[in-house]
Amino acid sequence: MFDRRLIQYFDWSLLLLTLIISGIGVGLIYSSVNSVEAVTPSKIHLKQLSWLGIGIFIMTCSFLFSYKKLDRYAPVIYGACAAMLVAVLLFGKTVGGSTRWLDLGVFLFQPSEPAKIGVILLLAHYFAKHVKPWGMGIRELIVPLVFVMVPFSLVLLQPDLGTALLLLLIAGTMAVFAKIERRTFFVLLAAVVILVPLGWFFIEDYQRTRILMLFSPESDPTGAGYHILQSKIAVGSGMLYGKGYMEGTQNILSFLPEQHTDFIFSVLAEEWGFVGAAGLLILFLLFTAFGLNIAYGCRDDFGTLLAFGITAMIFWQTVINIGMVIGLMPVVGMPLPLVSYGGSSVVTTLLGIGILLNISMRRFVKD
Amino acid sequence: MKPKDNEKQAAAKRNRRIRIVGVVFTLCFLVVAAKAVYLQAFAGDALSVRAVREYKRDYESVGKRGNIYDAQSRELVVTAGVVSIAARPSRINNPAKAAEVIAEILGMDQNRVAQTLSSQRPFVWIKRDASPRQAEAISTAIPQGLEFIENYSRIYPNRQLAAQVLGFAGVDGNGLEGIEYYYDEYLKGKPYRQTVVRDALGRIFQQEEASAPDTEGKSLVLTIDANIQHIAEQAITRAVRRHNARSAIAVAMVPRTGEIKAIANYPTFNPNAFARFPRSTWRNRALTDSFEPGSTLKIFTAAAAMESGIDPERSFVDCEDGRYRIGRNVIHDVHPHEELNLNEIIQYSSNIGIVKISEMIGPEALYSTLRRFGFSRKTGIDCPGEIAGILRPYQSWRKIDNATIAFGQGVTVTAIQLVNAVAAIANDGELMKPRIVREIKNPDGSAFRRFEPETLRRAVSPVIAKQLREMMNAATDREGTGSRAVPDGYTVCGKTGTAQILNASGNYKNSDYYAIFIGFSPARSPELAVLVAIEAPRGKYYGGEVAAPVFEEIVRESFNYMNVPPLHASPFLIKEDGKPA
Repeated sequence: MFDRRLIQYFDWSLLLLTLIISGIGVGLIYSSVNSVEAVTPSKIHLKQLSWLGIGIFIMTCSFLFSYKKLDRYAPVIYGACAAMLVAVLLFGKTVGGSTRWLDLGVFLFQPSEPAKIGVILLLAHYFAKHVKPWGMGIRELIVPLVFVMVPFSLVLLQPDLGTALLLLLIAGTMAVFAKIERRTFFVLLAAVVILVPLGWFFIEDYQRTRILMLFSPESDPTGAGYHILQSKIAVGSGMLYGKGYMEGTQNILSFLPEQHTDFIFSVLAEEWGFVGAAGLLILFLLFTAFGLNIAYGCRDDFGTLLAFGITAMIFWQTVINIGMVIGLMPVVGMPLPLVSYGGSSVVTTLLGIGILLNISMRRFVKD
Repeated sequence: MKPKDNEKQAAAKRNRRIRIVGVVFTLCFLVVAAKAVYLQAFAGDALSVRAVREYKRDYESVGKRGNIYDAQSRELVVTAGVVSIAARPSRINNPAKAAEVIAEILGMDQNRVAQTLSSQRPFVWIKRDASPRQAEAISTAIPQGLEFIENYSRIYPNRQLAAQVLGFAGVDGNGLEGIEYYYDEYLKGKPYRQTVVRDALGRIFQQEEASAPDTEGKSLVLTIDANIQHIAEQAITRAVRRHNARSAIAVAMVPRTGEIKAIANYPTFNPNAFARFPRSTWRNRALTDSFEPGSTLKIFTAAAAMESGIDPERSFVDCEDGRYRIGRNVIHDVHPHEELNLNEIIQYSSNIGIVKISEMIGPEALYSTLRRFGFSRKTGIDCPGEIAGILRPYQSWRKIDNATIAFGQGVTVTAIQLVNAVAAIANDGELMKPRIVREIKNPDGSAFRRFEPETLRRAVSPVIAKQLREMMNAATDREGTGSRAVPDGYTVCGKTGTAQILNASGNYKNSDYYAIFIGFSPARSPELAVLVAIEAPRGKYYGGEVAAPVFEEIVRESFNYMNVPPLHASPFLIKEDGKPA
């Protein structure tokens, strides 16, 4: 049963890239929470290491069997994710005004993270069956729209606008990739262009402020503009070569908020300068290229769409996160894949990479 | 074959899509990278400066300013370490409880504190200049969310007492007026740099010692005695009220040493809140303002006369029954006299008499004697703003000048000049330099510099000084103009003066008066020389009526405090039966 070619085709370079990025993440987390001032050195980097361990285990499990089984179980997995999202709203733990976590006793679990994989799976499953050579019309798009709107609404209710919009973004990218009829595409594009400004009136005040702060963080440097301004100051003060590992002043003196989670990139930029920041960007660009290459090499529609969806997920998270840190995008709760501290995010990303490896190593297998 | 072709075509199309996606994704990364380049390579310098400014601040700090004490080591000016208390409301765990504790310790209104602590602002002041003990108590009770900023506050515990002498220091600790200004270089603490590193919560976690002892300023011990100063201030304040006067000056000094015991100015101000008072009240007018001395100057004309060989007993002059014409001017006496000798001229304060004496001795003799007594020269007192007064050189005197200067018109003096000149008579003719500061002390209490009595010059011979004392003593006897200056049981040498104040058009029509008394007591061994000058009294305005009683009050109360024994005290303090009298 075991095919030697499974190892032969195994994408070692993607695995290596994953481990390098994860390692950088652990190093940055260590720097960000172990400031000079800390009385008891935080062990948070060790926790991240154990999450990476768990994630790599799950990743390994996910490429032991053929991804084609996922095609069959996609609706089930999606259903389970949706159920967990409902459970979050019913029994979830509220932190800082949002209910995003299920308390599993030993750790907190964020179901919106695996829900991304669930949506990608189901969309890949659906598009693979329904895409015509000339593309999908409005009629074919209604069902996937429902598929994504269910978790979208549930995540929005938590509320977690960032993750919810990420679901839409992934789904939209996948749909465009799967091919939409030209006319339908332009109609939808027009609809988006009209609806996005309308969205301004439906979001919360604090979200509106965050968008405004993007353009003028100086107008409220200690309030709404604080995050973005401090982040920009940290990134900018790193300059070309950075201040050196563990030497970031804005990091050590806790001027950077959330520096070990969503704003981890600013720690890198401050301590390693543009050289470090550009280095990580190149690693992520490589990662995206490898992901697209797997989609390229895959010969069945489901696998291609699945590989593309996962690559898109990691790509969007990276661009949005870094864009937010350097003041290109409004502040939303969005972790930097593999680098930011956070168990659910790390495990989900590694699960996704496992699926990518799975598709990659089985590209020779014919039905 | 066909399906396979289709498949190939579809695969090619799909691959093209993937390449397009790759390009789009790469473009997104490039946008992000461009922004990073902008931030780090172009805006980086400015943002670096900002980053440093956020956490690191260099403070130019100054050590504690030295205190000022009076002659009896009573505190006149002190620097207190105070603590300003601020809060970061969002970091306070239990605002209601905290408000209760703070309100109780600081004696503030609890609701107002609670309101402050519920503010949305990140940083709010609770109280400025609280005592270190209060701050300590609060920081123990509320360990989080409060900030304590240590600084110094200059305090004048006696409020207006000696305000113009002491002056004041500004909020930045620089002396701006008075002794605070004159001795600023000694009083002020040494500057030192202090680097403070703060974290984002504003917590200081790297700071040097708040004030090292070697940065502390030196302290001053004055010759001023707070009690005599108080007596003088009270006396002139009452006199100004009684006579509805515009202002008043009193100066008391020790003739032997030149030590100033009191300089009182009215109206006065409170240096703790100097900005709320008119600037005119800040001036030490005893040094900074001059006036015509009037008849008080006659004693110095008399000194010049005796030096020119005029015998005070035997040289009589005709006082013309109160009217004496010099050119177009007529000189009057208040009470008409006929023949008077110099003693009587001083005793009755005859203008015509002293004019005639002055005409006898000539301008040069009068001028040089006045100069030797220090007129139109700064005394060199250790206070800022002293002026010299005006006495034109005798070469430019007209005949009328020679006459009027003899009785104190056409010449201006400062209060300190006048009292110092009188003190020289008390001091056997030696003119001393008036002094306010006796000693500069190091922060550890050891002496840095002591100021010894300093003789400026001999103003007049001891023999003439003694004769002048006798004249001045006679001027305060029952028939003299200054009889009301004598306290019970003491003897006084003195001279009244009633000087007209030039009005706005430069003449003496409908003018106000300066009521002046200068003198010293006791006559034989003078302990204090005192000047009282009251500006523009309403109603009575003669120096003998307005100023002399103030002199009496100051001398009587000061001697009581100084334990100067009265001359006529009964030698029988104990009755013959052995019990106290």
